[in-house]
Amino acid sequence: MPILKKVTENKILRQAFFIAILLGVWQYIVSTGNYSELILPNLRSIWTALVDSISTGEMGERTAYSLYLIGKALAIGSGLALILTALAMLSPLFADFVKTITTIFNPLPGVALLPIALLWFGIGENSILLILVHSIIWPLILNATTGFRSVSRTQLEVGRNLGLRGLKLVSSVMVPSAFPYILTGFKISWSNSWRSLVAAEMIFGASGGQGGLGWLIYQKRFFLQTPYVFAALFVIILIGILVENVIFAQIEKWTIQRWGMIIQKEK
Amino acid sequence: MKRSIIFFVLIALLLSACSSSTAAPAAAEAAAIDAPVTTLRVAQQFGLGYAALTIADELNLFEKYLPGLQVEWLQLGSGGAINEAFIAGEVDVAVMGIPPFLIGWDKGIPWRVASGMCVMPLSLQTYKDNINSLADFGPDDKIAYPAPGSIQHILLSMAAERQLGSPTALDDIGVAMAHPDAAAALMNQKDISGHFTSPPYNFQELSQAGIHTVVDGTEAFGTEFTFLVAVASEELYENNPQAYSAFVMGIAEASDYINQHPQEAAAILAPSFGLDEETTLKYLTWPGMNYVTTPLGLMGFSDFMQNAGYIEKVPETVSEIAFPNVVAAIGQQSGTSGELETLQFRPE
Repeated sequence: MPILKKVTENKILRQAFFIAILLGVWQYIVSTGNYSELILPNLRSIWTALVDSISTGEMGERTAYSLYLIGKALAIGSGLALILTALAMLSPLFADFVKTITTIFNPLPGVALLPIALLWFGIGENSILLILVHSIIWPLILNATTGFRSVSRTQLEVGRNLGLRGLKLVSSVMVPSAFPYILTGFKISWSNSWRSLVAAEMIFGASGGQGGLGWLIYQKRFFLQTPYVFAALFVIILIGILVENVIFAQIEKWTIQRWGMIIQKEK
Repeated sequence: MKRSIIFFVLIALLLSACSSSTAAPAAAEAAAIDAPVTTLRVAQQFGLGYAALTIADELNLFEKYLPGLQVEWLQLGSGGAINEAFIAGEVDVAVMGIPPFLIGWDKGIPWRVASGMCVMPLSLQTYKDNINSLADFGPDDKIAYPAPGSIQHILLSMAAERQLGSPTALDDIGVAMAHPDAAAALMNQKDISGHFTSPPYNFQELSQAGIHTVVDGTEAFGTEFTFLVAVASEELYENNPQAYSAFVMGIAEASDYINQHPQEAAAILAPSFGLDEETTLKYLTWPGMNYVTTPLGLMGFSDFMQNAGYIEKVPETVSEIAFPNVVAAIGQQSGTSGELETLQFRPE
């Protein structure tokens, strides 16, 4: 069975095969006719909804707004995390402080902060930003400090012997050797914030002009346009996969893989 | 090879489990039809528009027409949520605004109007002195309503079409908020500049100095219209006409009771609204309040919603979206349309 062998050996083909099975099961359940189109739309109407919402520009606009918010929150969050981590590196007392607040806030789901965010910042972009920054900053600090603490003394001494001091030592020795941890921190921050964003928009319903994919789902739900809800879910999944498997994978390839810090991924 | 055989056997099992589980509810449904249900599951929301339900419940008016009837209440936050509960088969009767009902009907939910509930003043309030028409709302102002597709949202769209030329002109500054939250925000002059809402929330807002109405529902719609309708499933109407009639008669008697005896009704309703009796009475007898069971404006809403793209199809006659008791109350005059038939549409 050469074809079957080929399929089972290639990772991408293997995954495509599983997805095809899942879609087949979906369409089979739809075709039994036991569920209304409002509950379980068939794949063709989801596809039509997806194409329609892309061609009217609605999907693009909502996606762009969601990504813009995440980008802004990532910039603020990583900036704050950088400052806090740097200060913690300089002063052991401050390190204890950062450790304490990280321990307190890290387990708190971002969406749980929503009522407080609304009280402080009112409805709109700032409340969502607060939640996103919250879901970004703690995992980032946690991973970065672990990373910096794991830099080996030998490497630091070698750096010092080469005449590296201060910032130069940080940028040439400490950051590269802590990079796997920092990257993991970013991965967790990204997935946390992506989830929080969609959830937050659905809970208090962002306003029409300032709404991302969560708002799109919320709105379509009220007009009972189930295929559009599924189309938006599809886009959310797709972006999640793209960021994790393409963007982060690429950064990994350029950095820690090139620096020989991890072994080549299995095919 | 062996492993892949096991794999395919598992898949086959999974598939058969799916198909057998889909067959089970169908069998249960068939059984339910044989034994007439004496439980009536009613979905409602919160506000003065639902007062007839509370009165009927307190005075046992449903049981009066069908002894032994068990009424189960389901309190939901929006017409959209009621739509979902209906699709999930958790509800027999629901009270909601005409627009969410039409959205459900458009998407094929098997239901029709069983009774009108009330005509009431709905309105858009603001605390900003410089806002006197919709054109005065700027891009940084926000207008709250309970949900996209709610009657408040649709009335705002109607007003926007009249005053600004496009039904979607204000969609970008619309924000979905629950009535109590939005009323609190408006009265504290926080976050939002406008709130399109229904009684008692607009009455509360207007009772505070400095808050005024920008546009009201009648101006937006063009004439009087029904705020809430009671909607029943085709299944209830077909399979349990006794429970259906008991519900319709209970609503009618409760509505009449509120109109005739507002004092007594206020005493019954006050605790459920968390208001004192005096305020409740003031709200029940506010100018424009009318507990009337003949619906008005059914076709006006559907025509507008189709033109604005919120729904795809419109009923050709009222009988497509209302049960015979309602169609008969509206009537069908030979020759030209009767008054009540004309009142189903918006004025030209």
